[in-house]
Amino acid sequence: MESTAPLGMTEPGNSAASSRLRFALTVAPFLLLALLAVLPLFDLGPNTIRLLFVTFVWVTVSIAWNILGGFGGQVSFGFAVFYGLGAYATALAINRGVNAFFSLVLAGGVAVLASLLVGVPTFRLKGPHFAIATIGVSEAVRVVMTNLSITGGASGYRIIETGTFHQVKHYFAALALAAVAVAVSAFVRRSRFGLALIAIREDEEAASDLGVDPFRTKLLAHALAALLTGAAGGVYAQYAAYIHPQGVFSFNVGVAILLMPIIGGIGTVWGPVIGGVVYGLIHEELIASFPQLHLLIYGSLLILIVLFEPGGVVGLLDKSYRALTRTRRVSGSHP
Amino acid sequence: MAPILRVDRVTKYFAGLAALKEVSFELQPGGICGLIGPNGSGKTTLLSIIAGSLQPTSGAVVFQGRDLTGAKSFRVAQAGIVRTHQIPRPFRALSVLENVAVGISFGRGQRSASKTRDAGRVLELVGIAHLAHAPAARLSVGDQKRLELARALATQPSLLLCDEVCSGLTVSETTSVLRLLREIQKAGTTILYVEHNLKAIMSVSHHVIVINYGQKLAEGTPEAMQNDASVIEAYIGRTAEN
Repeated sequence: MESTAPLGMTEPGNSAASSRLRFALTVAPFLLLALLAVLPLFDLGPNTIRLLFVTFVWVTVSIAWNILGGFGGQVSFGFAVFYGLGAYATALAINRGVNAFFSLVLAGGVAVLASLLVGVPTFRLKGPHFAIATIGVSEAVRVVMTNLSITGGASGYRIIETGTFHQVKHYFAALALAAVAVAVSAFVRRSRFGLALIAIREDEEAASDLGVDPFRTKLLAHALAALLTGAAGGVYAQYAAYIHPQGVFSFNVGVAILLMPIIGGIGTVWGPVIGGVVYGLIHEELIASFPQLHLLIYGSLLILIVLFEPGGVVGLLDKSYRALTRTRRVSGSHP
Repeated sequence: MAPILRVDRVTKYFAGLAALKEVSFELQPGGICGLIGPNGSGKTTLLSIIAGSLQPTSGAVVFQGRDLTGAKSFRVAQAGIVRTHQIPRPFRALSVLENVAVGISFGRGQRSASKTRDAGRVLELVGIAHLAHAPAARLSVGDQKRLELARALATQPSLLLCDEVCSGLTVSETTSVLRLLREIQKAGTTILYVEHNLKAIMSVSHHVIVINYGQKLAEGTPEAMQNDASVIEAYIGRTAEN
Protein backbone atom coordinates (compact mmCIF):
# COMPACT_ATOMS: atom_id res chain seq x y z
CA MET A 1 0.00 0.00 0.00
CA GLU A 2 1.44 3.31 -1.05
CA SER A 3 0.44 6.21 1.11
CA THR A 4 1.03 9.89 0.81
CA ALA A 5 3.14 11.63 3.39
CA PRO A 6 1.32 14.09 5.61
CA LEU A 7 1.08 17.67 4.51
CA GLY A 8 4.32 19.56 4.81
CA MET A 9 6.34 16.41 5.39
CA THR A 10 6.81 15.29 1.80
CA GLU A 11 10.14 16.86 1.05
CA PRO A 12 12.33 19.38 2.80
CA GLY A 13 11.41 22.58 1.04
CA ASN A 14 14.08 25.24 0.89
CA SER A 15 11.95 28.12 -0.33
CA ALA A 16 10.60 30.80 1.97
CA ALA A 17 7.10 29.98 0.73
CA SER A 18 7.25 26.42 2.00
CA SER A 19 8.58 27.44 5.42
CA ARG A 20 5.82 30.04 5.67
CA LEU A 21 3.32 27.34 4.78
CA ARG A 22 4.75 25.06 7.44
CA PHE A 23 4.46 27.83 10.02
CA ALA A 24 0.86 28.45 9.00
CA LEU A 25 0.10 24.74 9.26
CA THR A 26 1.61 24.63 12.75
CA VAL A 27 -0.35 27.63 14.01
CA ALA A 28 -3.66 26.84 12.27
CA PRO A 29 -4.73 24.01 14.61
CA PHE A 30 -4.33 26.24 17.68
CA LEU A 31 -6.29 29.06 16.06
CA LEU A 32 -9.00 26.60 15.09
CA LEU A 33 -9.16 25.24 18.64
CA ALA A 34 -9.41 28.77 20.06
CA LEU A 35 -12.17 29.60 17.60
CA LEU A 36 -14.14 26.47 18.46
CA ALA A 37 -13.68 27.18 22.18
CA VAL A 38 -15.30 30.63 21.96
CA LEU A 39 -17.93 29.61 19.41
CA PRO A 40 -20.66 28.77 22.00
CA LEU A 41 -20.47 32.42 23.19
CA PHE A 42 -22.25 33.37 20.00
CA ASP A 43 -25.85 32.35 19.93
CA LEU A 44 -25.73 29.61 17.33
CA GLY A 45 -28.74 27.66 18.45
CA PRO A 46 -28.90 24.11 19.81
CA ASN A 47 -28.93 22.47 16.36
CA THR A 48 -25.58 23.87 15.30
CA ILE A 49 -24.03 23.01 18.66
CA ARG A 50 -25.43 19.48 18.38
CA LEU A 51 -24.00 19.12 14.86
CA LEU A 52 -20.58 20.28 16.04
CA PHE A 53 -20.76 17.97 19.06
CA VAL A 54 -21.46 14.95 16.86
CA THR A 55 -18.67 16.00 14.50
CA PHE A 56 -16.14 16.16 17.36
CA VAL A 57 -17.12 12.66 18.45
CA TRP A 58 -16.67 11.32 14.91
CA VAL A 59 -13.36 13.16 14.50
CA THR A 60 -12.05 11.53 17.69
CA VAL A 61 -13.07 8.05 16.57
CA SER A 62 -11.69 8.63 13.07
CA ILE A 63 -8.31 9.66 14.50
CA ALA A 64 -8.32 6.65 16.80
CA TRP A 65 -8.96 4.22 13.94
CA ASN A 66 -6.19 5.83 11.91
CA ILE A 67 -3.58 5.13 14.61
CA LEU A 68 -4.02 1.40 14.07
CA GLY A 69 -5.39 1.34 10.53
CA GLY A 70 -3.63 4.29 8.94
CA PHE A 71 -0.21 4.29 10.59
CA GLY A 72 -0.14 0.57 11.36
CA GLY A 73 -2.01 -0.68 8.29
CA GLN A 74 -4.25 -3.02 10.31
CA VAL A 75 -7.75 -2.64 8.87
CA SER A 76 -10.34 -3.28 11.57
CA PHE A 77 -14.10 -3.35 11.07
CA GLY A 78 -14.56 -3.85 14.78
CA PHE A 79 -14.27 -0.39 16.30
CA ALA A 80 -18.00 -0.27 17.09
CA VAL A 81 -17.11 -2.71 19.90
CA PHE A 82 -15.00 -0.08 21.67
CA TYR A 83 -17.41 2.74 20.89
CA GLY A 84 -20.38 0.76 22.21
CA LEU A 85 -18.60 -0.61 25.28
CA GLY A 86 -17.43 2.91 26.12
CA ALA A 87 -20.99 4.18 25.79
CA TYR A 88 -22.46 1.41 27.95
CA ALA A 89 -19.68 1.59 30.56
CA THR A 90 -20.28 5.32 30.96
CA ALA A 91 -24.06 4.96 31.18
CA LEU A 92 -23.82 2.17 33.76
CA ALA A 93 -21.24 4.11 35.80
CA ILE A 94 -23.23 7.34 35.83
CA ASN A 95 -26.35 5.55 36.98
CA ARG A 96 -24.28 4.23 39.88
CA GLY A 97 -23.23 7.71 40.92
CA VAL A 98 -19.79 7.92 39.28
CA ASN A 99 -19.04 11.47 38.11
CA ALA A 100 -18.91 12.42 34.44
CA PHE A 101 -15.13 12.54 34.11
CA PHE A 102 -14.38 9.25 35.86
CA SER A 103 -17.10 7.50 33.92
CA LEU A 104 -15.17 8.46 30.75
CA VAL A 105 -11.93 7.13 32.22
CA LEU A 106 -13.80 3.93 32.98
CA ALA A 107 -15.17 3.83 29.43
CA GLY A 108 -11.64 4.11 28.03
CA GLY A 109 -10.41 1.43 30.44
CA VAL A 110 -13.11 -1.05 29.48
CA ALA A 111 -12.39 -0.46 25.80
CA VAL A 112 -8.64 -1.00 26.35
CA LEU A 113 -9.37 -4.28 28.10
CA ALA A 114 -11.60 -5.33 25.20
CA SER A 115 -8.89 -4.34 22.70
CA LEU A 116 -6.44 -6.70 24.39
CA LEU A 117 -8.97 -9.54 24.45
CA VAL A 118 -9.68 -9.02 20.76
CA GLY A 119 -6.09 -8.23 19.78
CA VAL A 120 -4.23 -11.14 21.36
CA PRO A 121 -5.87 -13.78 19.14
CA THR A 122 -6.59 -11.65 16.04
CA PHE A 123 -3.16 -10.05 15.62
CA ARG A 124 -1.79 -13.48 14.88
CA LEU A 125 -3.72 -13.11 11.62
CA LYS A 126 -2.58 -10.91 8.77
CA GLY A 127 -4.20 -8.65 6.18
CA PRO A 128 -7.72 -9.66 5.11
CA HIS A 129 -7.83 -12.44 7.72
CA PHE A 130 -7.46 -9.88 10.49
CA ALA A 131 -10.15 -7.66 8.94
CA ILE A 132 -12.62 -10.56 8.70
CA ALA A 133 -11.93 -11.65 12.28
CA THR A 134 -12.79 -8.15 13.51
CA ILE A 135 -16.17 -8.34 11.72
CA GLY A 136 -16.88 -11.58 13.55
CA VAL A 137 -15.96 -10.15 16.94
CA SER A 138 -18.02 -7.04 16.32
CA GLU A 139 -21.15 -8.99 15.36
CA ALA A 140 -20.72 -11.35 18.31
CA VAL A 141 -20.55 -8.44 20.76
CA ARG A 142 -23.61 -6.83 19.18
CA VAL A 143 -25.62 -10.04 19.53
CA VAL A 144 -24.55 -10.46 23.15
CA MET A 145 -25.48 -6.87 23.99
CA THR A 146 -28.83 -7.25 22.23
CA ASN A 147 -29.64 -10.13 24.57
CA LEU A 148 -28.04 -8.92 27.79
CA SER A 149 -30.85 -8.28 30.27
CA ILE A 150 -29.01 -6.03 32.77
CA THR A 151 -28.54 -3.39 30.08
CA GLY A 152 -32.06 -3.70 28.76
CA GLY A 153 -31.15 -5.90 25.79
CA ALA A 154 -32.38 -4.71 22.42
CA SER A 155 -34.58 -2.00 23.91
CA GLY A 156 -31.54 -0.09 25.12
CA TYR A 157 -30.36 1.60 28.28
CA ARG A 158 -31.17 5.02 29.68
CA ILE A 159 -29.09 7.36 31.83
CA ILE A 160 -31.21 8.70 34.64
CA GLU A 161 -30.61 12.46 34.57
CA THR A 162 -30.10 14.00 38.00
CA GLY A 163 -29.05 17.56 37.18
CA THR A 164 -30.19 20.00 34.53
CA PHE A 165 -29.02 19.45 30.97
CA HIS A 166 -26.30 21.85 29.73
CA GLN A 167 -25.62 21.28 26.07
CA VAL A 168 -22.47 23.45 26.13
CA LYS A 169 -20.90 21.20 28.76
CA HIS A 170 -21.12 18.26 26.38
CA TYR A 171 -19.84 20.42 23.55
CA PHE A 172 -16.68 21.22 25.52
CA ALA A 173 -16.18 17.63 26.61
CA ALA A 174 -16.28 16.48 22.97
CA LEU A 175 -14.06 19.34 21.80
CA ALA A 176 -11.47 18.61 24.50
CA LEU A 177 -11.43 14.91 23.63
CA ALA A 178 -11.03 15.64 19.91
CA ALA A 179 -8.16 18.05 20.68
CA VAL A 180 -6.46 15.39 22.82
CA ALA A 181 -6.91 12.88 20.00
CA VAL A 182 -5.27 15.21 17.46
CA ALA A 183 -2.36 15.82 19.86
CA VAL A 184 -1.92 12.08 20.49
CA SER A 185 -2.03 11.33 16.76
CA ALA A 186 0.51 14.06 15.93
CA PHE A 187 2.77 12.81 18.70
CA VAL A 188 2.50 9.18 17.56
CA ARG A 189 3.37 10.16 13.98
CA ARG A 190 6.65 11.71 15.16
CA SER A 191 7.51 9.11 17.79
CA ARG A 192 9.57 5.92 17.77
CA PHE A 193 6.29 4.04 18.26
CA GLY A 194 4.80 5.65 15.14
CA LEU A 195 7.92 4.78 13.16
CA ALA A 196 7.49 1.14 14.18
CA LEU A 197 3.81 1.19 13.15
CA ILE A 198 4.55 2.62 9.71
CA ALA A 199 7.40 0.15 9.23
CA ILE A 200 4.99 -2.69 10.07
CA ARG A 201 2.43 -1.34 7.59
CA GLU A 202 5.06 -1.12 4.86
CA ASP A 203 6.67 -4.53 5.44
CA GLU A 204 6.04 -6.43 8.65
CA GLU A 205 8.80 -9.02 8.14
CA ALA A 206 11.41 -6.41 7.25
CA ALA A 207 10.42 -4.40 10.33
CA SER A 208 10.84 -7.48 12.52
CA ASP A 209 14.23 -8.17 10.92
CA LEU A 210 15.37 -4.78 12.24
CA GLY A 211 14.21 -5.43 15.80
CA VAL A 212 10.60 -4.19 15.78
CA ASP A 213 8.23 -6.44 17.73
CA PRO A 214 5.15 -6.41 15.43
CA PHE A 215 2.73 -8.15 17.80
CA ARG A 216 3.45 -5.89 20.75
CA THR A 217 3.40 -2.73 18.62
CA LYS A 218 0.04 -3.61 17.04
CA LEU A 219 -1.43 -4.52 20.41
CA LEU A 220 -0.33 -1.18 21.84
CA ALA A 221 -1.76 0.76 18.88
CA HIS A 222 -5.02 -1.17 19.22
CA ALA A 223 -5.20 -0.30 22.93
CA LEU A 224 -4.47 3.40 22.33
CA ALA A 225 -7.11 3.52 19.58
CA ALA A 226 -9.60 1.73 21.84
CA LEU A 227 -8.93 4.16 24.69
CA LEU A 228 -9.88 7.15 22.51
CA THR A 229 -12.81 5.35 20.87
CA GLY A 230 -14.22 4.18 24.22
CA ALA A 231 -13.98 7.68 25.65
CA ALA A 232 -15.73 9.04 22.55
CA GLY A 233 -18.52 6.50 23.03
CA GLY A 234 -18.77 7.68 26.64
CA VAL A 235 -19.00 11.35 25.66
CA TYR A 236 -21.75 10.45 23.20
CA ALA A 237 -23.68 8.39 25.78
CA GLN A 238 -23.60 11.24 28.31
CA TYR A 239 -25.11 13.55 25.70
CA ALA A 240 -27.65 11.17 24.21
CA ALA A 241 -28.62 9.74 27.62
CA TYR A 242 -30.17 6.81 25.79
CA ILE A 243 -28.22 4.14 23.94
CA HIS A 244 -29.17 0.87 22.30
CA PRO A 245 -27.13 -1.94 20.70
CA GLN A 246 -28.40 -1.29 17.17
CA GLY A 247 -27.23 2.31 17.54
CA VAL A 248 -23.75 2.00 19.03
CA PHE A 249 -22.75 -1.60 18.22
CA SER A 250 -24.11 -1.88 14.68
CA PHE A 251 -21.94 -2.97 11.78
CA ASN A 252 -22.74 0.37 10.14
CA VAL A 253 -20.94 2.18 12.95
CA GLY A 254 -17.87 -0.02 12.49
CA VAL A 255 -17.84 0.68 8.76
CA ALA A 256 -18.45 4.42 9.23
CA ILE A 257 -15.47 4.63 11.59
CA LEU A 258 -13.23 3.07 8.97
CA LEU A 259 -14.57 5.18 6.09
CA MET A 260 -13.83 8.55 7.70
CA PRO A 261 -10.01 8.32 7.67
CA ILE A 262 -10.11 6.81 4.17
CA ILE A 263 -12.09 9.78 2.88
CA GLY A 264 -9.87 12.29 4.64
CA GLY A 265 -6.51 10.69 3.94
CA ILE A 266 -5.36 7.45 5.54
CA GLY A 267 -2.06 7.36 7.44
CA THR A 268 -1.84 11.13 7.90
CA VAL A 269 -2.44 13.30 10.98
CA TRP A 270 -5.02 15.64 9.42
CA GLY A 271 -6.75 13.28 7.01
CA PRO A 272 -8.87 11.58 9.70
CA VAL A 273 -9.81 15.00 11.10
CA ILE A 274 -11.05 16.15 7.70
CA GLY A 275 -12.76 12.80 7.15
CA GLY A 276 -14.50 13.08 10.52
CA VAL A 277 -15.70 16.59 9.70
CA VAL A 278 -16.92 15.54 6.25
CA TYR A 279 -18.73 12.55 7.73
CA GLY A 280 -20.10 14.41 10.74
CA LEU A 281 -21.48 17.34 8.79
CA ILE A 282 -22.51 15.70 5.51
CA HIS A 283 -23.78 12.49 7.05
CA GLU A 284 -26.07 14.33 9.46
CA GLU A 285 -27.40 16.45 6.61
CA LEU A 286 -27.81 13.46 4.32
CA ILE A 287 -29.69 11.50 6.98
CA ALA A 288 -32.02 14.44 7.44
CA SER A 289 -32.61 15.07 3.73
CA PHE A 290 -32.34 11.55 2.26
CA PRO A 291 -33.12 9.07 5.05
CA GLN A 292 -33.31 6.14 2.61
CA LEU A 293 -30.49 7.15 0.33
CA HIS A 294 -27.74 8.47 2.60
CA LEU A 295 -25.73 5.25 2.64
CA LEU A 296 -25.91 4.99 -1.15
CA ILE A 297 -24.67 8.55 -1.60
CA TYR A 298 -21.96 8.00 0.96
CA GLY A 299 -20.92 4.73 -0.65
CA SER A 300 -20.68 6.35 -4.09
CA LEU A 301 -18.52 9.10 -2.63
CA LEU A 302 -16.25 6.46 -1.17
CA ILE A 303 -15.91 4.58 -4.48
CA LEU A 304 -14.98 7.81 -6.23
CA ILE A 305 -12.30 8.54 -3.64
CA VAL A 306 -10.78 5.08 -3.72
CA LEU A 307 -10.75 5.11 -7.54
CA PHE A 308 -9.42 8.59 -8.16
CA GLU A 309 -7.59 9.72 -5.05
CA PRO A 310 -6.48 6.96 -2.67
CA GLY A 311 -4.76 9.64 -0.60
CA GLY A 312 -8.16 11.11 0.30
CA VAL A 313 -8.80 14.81 0.76
CA VAL A 314 -5.28 15.35 2.15
CA GLY A 315 -3.77 13.62 -0.88
CA LEU A 316 -5.81 15.89 -3.13
CA LEU A 317 -4.70 19.01 -1.25
CA ASP A 318 -1.09 17.87 -1.31
CA LYS A 319 -1.21 17.33 -5.07
CA SER A 320 -2.89 20.67 -5.76
CA TYR A 321 -0.34 22.48 -3.60
CA ARG A 322 2.52 20.86 -5.44
CA ALA A 323 0.96 21.57 -8.84
CA LEU A 324 0.47 25.17 -7.76
CA THR A 325 4.06 25.70 -6.60
CA ARG A 326 5.36 23.98 -9.72
CA THR A 327 3.45 26.39 -12.00
CA ARG A 328 4.73 29.30 -9.99
CA ARG A 329 8.30 28.10 -10.26
CA VAL A 330 8.01 27.54 -13.99
CA SER A 331 6.47 30.95 -14.63
CA GLY A 332 9.08 32.52 -12.35
CA SER A 333 11.95 31.18 -14.42
CA HIS A 334 10.56 32.80 -17.56
CA PRO A 335 9.93 36.42 -16.61
CA MET B 1 38.98 -17.92 20.00
CA ALA B 2 35.35 -18.71 20.83
CA PRO B 3 33.12 -18.81 17.76
CA ILE B 4 30.63 -15.94 17.36
CA LEU B 5 28.09 -18.26 15.77
CA ARG B 6 27.59 -22.00 16.01
CA VAL B 7 25.14 -23.71 13.67
CA ASP B 8 24.57 -27.22 14.96
CA ARG B 9 22.97 -29.93 12.78
CA VAL B 10 20.30 -27.57 11.43
CA THR B 11 17.63 -29.39 9.45
CA LYS B 12 14.67 -27.83 7.70
CA TYR B 13 11.78 -29.62 6.03
CA PHE B 14 9.21 -27.91 3.84
CA ALA B 15 6.24 -30.30 3.77
CA GLY B 16 8.41 -33.40 3.71
CA LEU B 17 11.02 -31.93 1.38
CA ALA B 18 14.39 -31.51 3.07
CA ALA B 19 15.78 -28.05 2.29
CA LEU B 20 18.61 -28.45 4.80
CA LYS B 21 20.00 -31.67 6.24
CA GLU B 22 22.12 -31.52 9.39
CA VAL B 23 24.19 -28.49 8.43
CA SER B 24 26.83 -27.60 11.03
CA PHE B 25 29.53 -24.97 11.04
CA GLU B 26 31.17 -22.39 13.26
CA LEU B 27 31.94 -18.76 12.47
CA GLN B 28 35.00 -17.06 13.94
CA PRO B 29 34.49 -13.41 14.84
CA GLY B 30 35.91 -10.69 12.62
CA GLY B 31 36.04 -12.04 9.11
CA ILE B 32 33.92 -12.34 6.02
CA CYS B 33 32.62 -15.86 5.50
CA GLY B 34 31.20 -16.71 2.10
CA LEU B 35 28.32 -19.17 1.84
CA ILE B 36 28.05 -20.52 -1.68
CA GLY B 37 26.17 -23.21 -3.50
CA PRO B 38 24.21 -23.75 -6.70
CA ASN B 39 20.64 -22.45 -7.08
CA GLY B 40 18.24 -24.12 -4.67
CA SER B 41 21.01 -25.54 -2.49
CA GLY B 42 19.52 -24.00 0.69
CA LYS B 43 21.69 -20.91 1.15
CA THR B 44 18.87 -18.45 1.76
CA THR B 45 16.97 -20.97 3.89
CA LEU B 46 20.01 -21.32 6.13
CA LEU B 47 20.43 -17.56 6.36
CA SER B 48 16.72 -17.14 7.19
CA ILE B 49 16.97 -19.70 9.98
CA ILE B 50 19.96 -17.92 11.53
CA ALA B 51 18.07 -14.59 11.27
CA GLY B 52 14.95 -16.02 12.90
CA SER B 53 12.80 -15.48 9.80
CA LEU B 54 12.31 -19.25 9.59
CA GLN B 55 12.27 -21.83 12.37
CA PRO B 56 14.41 -24.94 11.90
CA THR B 57 12.78 -28.37 12.04
CA SER B 58 15.66 -29.49 14.27
CA GLY B 59 19.15 -28.38 15.23
CA ALA B 60 20.42 -25.34 17.08
CA VAL B 61 21.70 -21.83 16.41
CA VAL B 62 23.98 -20.47 19.14
CA PHE B 63 25.15 -16.87 18.97
CA GLN B 64 27.86 -15.57 21.34
CA GLY B 65 27.12 -18.48 23.65
CA ARG B 66 23.39 -17.71 23.66
CA ASP B 67 20.90 -20.21 22.24
CA LEU B 68 18.80 -18.38 19.66
CA THR B 69 17.14 -21.45 18.16
CA GLY B 70 13.53 -20.64 17.36
CA ALA B 71 13.80 -17.01 18.51
CA LYS B 72 11.67 -14.52 16.56
CA SER B 73 13.55 -12.32 14.11
CA PHE B 74 13.15 -9.12 16.16
CA ARG B 75 14.77 -10.85 19.16
CA VAL B 76 17.60 -12.05 16.95
CA ALA B 77 18.09 -8.49 15.66
CA GLN B 78 18.11 -7.13 19.21
CA ALA B 79 20.73 -9.75 20.12
CA GLY B 80 23.00 -8.48 17.33
CA ILE B 81 22.35 -10.53 14.18
CA VAL B 82 20.76 -8.68 11.29
CA ARG B 83 20.01 -9.75 7.74
CA THR B 84 19.56 -8.04 4.40
CA HIS B 85 17.21 -9.29 1.71
CA GLN B 86 18.20 -10.37 -1.78
CA ILE B 87 15.36 -8.27 -3.19
CA PRO B 88 15.48 -5.02 -1.19
CA ARG B 89 12.45 -4.41 1.02
CA PRO B 90 12.53 -0.69 1.85
CA PHE B 91 9.70 0.95 3.81
CA ARG B 92 8.52 2.76 0.69
CA ALA B 93 6.43 5.50 2.33
CA LEU B 94 9.31 6.52 4.60
CA SER B 95 12.33 8.61 3.67
CA VAL B 96 15.79 7.06 3.46
CA LEU B 97 16.65 8.64 6.81
CA GLU B 98 13.48 7.30 8.46
CA ASN B 99 14.23 3.83 7.10
CA VAL B 100 17.60 3.96 8.84
CA ALA B 101 15.94 5.39 11.96
CA VAL B 102 13.91 2.17 12.29
CA GLY B 103 17.14 0.17 12.53
CA ILE B 104 18.66 2.64 14.97
CA SER B 105 15.60 2.80 17.21
CA PHE B 106 14.91 -0.92 17.48
CA GLY B 107 18.13 -2.82 16.83
CA ARG B 108 20.86 -3.77 19.25
CA GLY B 109 22.14 -0.19 19.50
CA GLN B 110 18.73 1.23 20.43
CA ARG B 111 19.93 2.52 23.78
CA SER B 112 22.90 4.41 22.36
CA ALA B 113 22.87 8.20 22.35
CA SER B 114 23.24 10.57 19.38
CA LYS B 115 20.87 8.80 17.04
CA THR B 116 20.86 11.42 14.30
CA ARG B 117 24.66 11.35 14.15
CA ASP B 118 24.57 7.56 13.87
CA ALA B 119 22.08 7.77 10.99
CA GLY B 120 24.21 10.31 9.14
CA ARG B 121 27.32 8.19 9.61
CA VAL B 122 25.66 5.03 8.30
CA LEU B 123 24.30 6.83 5.22
CA GLU B 124 27.73 8.38 4.66
CA LEU B 125 29.36 4.96 4.87
CA VAL B 126 27.12 3.30 2.29
CA GLY B 127 27.23 6.40 0.09
CA ILE B 128 23.60 7.57 0.06
CA ALA B 129 23.87 10.53 2.44
CA HIS B 130 22.77 12.87 -0.35
CA LEU B 131 19.48 10.92 -0.60
CA ALA B 132 18.64 11.14 3.13
CA HIS B 133 15.34 12.97 2.60
CA ALA B 134 14.26 11.21 -0.57
CA PRO B 135 11.32 8.81 -0.29
CA ALA B 136 12.66 5.26 -0.33
CA ALA B 137 10.20 4.38 -3.10
CA ARG B 138 12.11 6.59 -5.52
CA LEU B 139 15.54 4.97 -5.14
CA SER B 140 17.23 3.06 -7.96
CA VAL B 141 17.87 -0.66 -7.46
CA GLY B 142 21.51 -0.01 -6.61
CA ASP B 143 20.60 2.62 -4.02
CA GLN B 144 17.89 0.34 -2.60
CA LYS B 145 20.58 -2.30 -2.05
CA ARG B 146 22.67 0.34 -0.25
CA LEU B 147 19.69 1.35 1.86
CA GLU B 148 19.11 -2.30 2.73
CA LEU B 149 22.70 -2.42 4.03
CA ALA B 150 22.47 0.97 5.76
CA ARG B 151 19.31 -0.05 7.62
CA ALA B 152 20.92 -3.29 8.74
CA LEU B 153 24.11 -1.53 9.88
CA ALA B 154 22.02 1.01 11.80
CA THR B 155 21.04 -1.76 14.22
CA GLN B 156 24.74 -2.01 15.18
CA PRO B 157 25.02 -5.74 14.56
CA SER B 158 27.89 -8.00 15.61
CA LEU B 159 26.98 -10.34 12.77
CA LEU B 160 25.70 -9.14 9.41
CA LEU B 161 23.97 -11.65 7.14
CA CYS B 162 24.08 -10.50 3.52
CA ASP B 163 21.87 -12.19 0.97
CA GLU B 164 23.20 -11.65 -2.57
CA VAL B 165 23.92 -7.94 -2.16
CA CYS B 166 25.42 -7.85 -5.66
CA SER B 167 22.66 -9.49 -7.69
CA GLY B 168 21.20 -7.11 -10.24
CA LEU B 169 24.05 -4.63 -9.90
CA THR B 170 26.39 -3.43 -12.64
CA VAL B 171 30.10 -4.36 -12.55
CA SER B 172 31.15 -1.00 -11.09
CA GLU B 173 28.33 -1.07 -8.52
CA THR B 174 29.37 -4.59 -7.53
CA THR B 175 32.97 -3.46 -7.02
CA SER B 176 31.91 -0.61 -4.76
CA VAL B 177 29.52 -2.76 -2.71
CA LEU B 178 32.27 -5.36 -2.19
CA ARG B 179 34.61 -2.57 -1.06
CA LEU B 180 31.88 -1.49 1.34
CA LEU B 181 31.59 -5.01 2.80
CA ARG B 182 35.34 -5.00 3.45
CA GLU B 183 35.05 -1.64 5.23
CA ILE B 184 32.21 -2.91 7.39
CA GLN B 185 34.24 -5.99 8.29
CA LYS B 186 37.32 -3.89 9.13
CA ALA B 187 35.14 -1.75 11.42
CA GLY B 188 34.55 -4.89 13.49
CA THR B 189 31.40 -6.55 12.16
CA THR B 190 31.52 -10.24 11.26
CA ILE B 191 29.86 -10.96 7.92
CA LEU B 192 28.20 -14.09 6.60
CA TYR B 193 27.81 -13.48 2.91
CA VAL B 194 25.49 -15.59 0.75
CA GLU B 195 26.26 -15.18 -2.91
CA HIS B 196 25.61 -16.91 -6.19
CA ASN B 197 28.31 -14.92 -7.95
CA LEU B 198 31.48 -16.97 -7.35
CA LYS B 199 33.88 -14.29 -8.49
CA ALA B 200 32.44 -11.72 -6.09
CA ILE B 201 32.51 -14.04 -3.11
CA MET B 202 35.99 -15.44 -3.73
CA SER B 203 37.41 -11.91 -3.87
CA VAL B 204 36.18 -10.77 -0.44
CA SER B 205 35.85 -13.92 1.70
CA HIS B 206 38.39 -15.10 4.24
CA HIS B 207 36.62 -18.40 4.57
CA VAL B 208 34.12 -20.17 2.34
CA ILE B 209 31.43 -22.73 3.12
CA VAL B 210 29.93 -24.67 0.21
CA ILE B 211 26.53 -26.28 0.42
CA ASN B 212 24.68 -28.37 -2.11
CA TYR B 213 21.31 -30.18 -1.91
CA GLY B 214 20.89 -28.83 1.63
CA GLN B 215 24.11 -30.38 2.92
CA LYS B 216 27.51 -28.96 3.66
CA LEU B 217 29.85 -30.05 0.91
CA ALA B 218 33.13 -28.48 2.01
CA GLU B 219 34.65 -25.49 3.77
CA GLY B 220 38.03 -23.80 3.73
CA THR B 221 39.94 -20.90 2.24
CA PRO B 222 38.67 -19.44 -1.06
CA GLU B 223 41.72 -20.85 -2.87
CA ALA B 224 41.19 -24.36 -1.53
CA MET B 225 37.49 -24.26 -2.45
CA GLN B 226 38.22 -23.12 -6.00
CA ASN B 227 40.35 -26.21 -6.46
CA ASP B 228 38.17 -28.66 -4.56
CA ALA B 229 36.97 -31.40 -6.90
CA SER B 230 33.59 -31.82 -5.20
CA VAL B 231 32.89 -28.07 -5.38
CA ILE B 232 33.76 -27.91 -9.05
CA GLU B 233 31.53 -30.87 -9.70
CA ALA B 234 28.60 -29.32 -7.82
CA TYR B 235 28.88 -26.10 -9.74
CA ILE B 236 29.86 -27.16 -13.23
CA GLY B 237 29.21 -30.88 -13.34
CA ARG B 238 31.41 -33.64 -14.68
CA THR B 239 31.66 -32.06 -18.12
CA ALA B 240 34.24 -29.73 -16.57
CA GLU B 241 36.78 -32.47 -17.22
CA ASN B 242 36.45 -31.99 -20.97
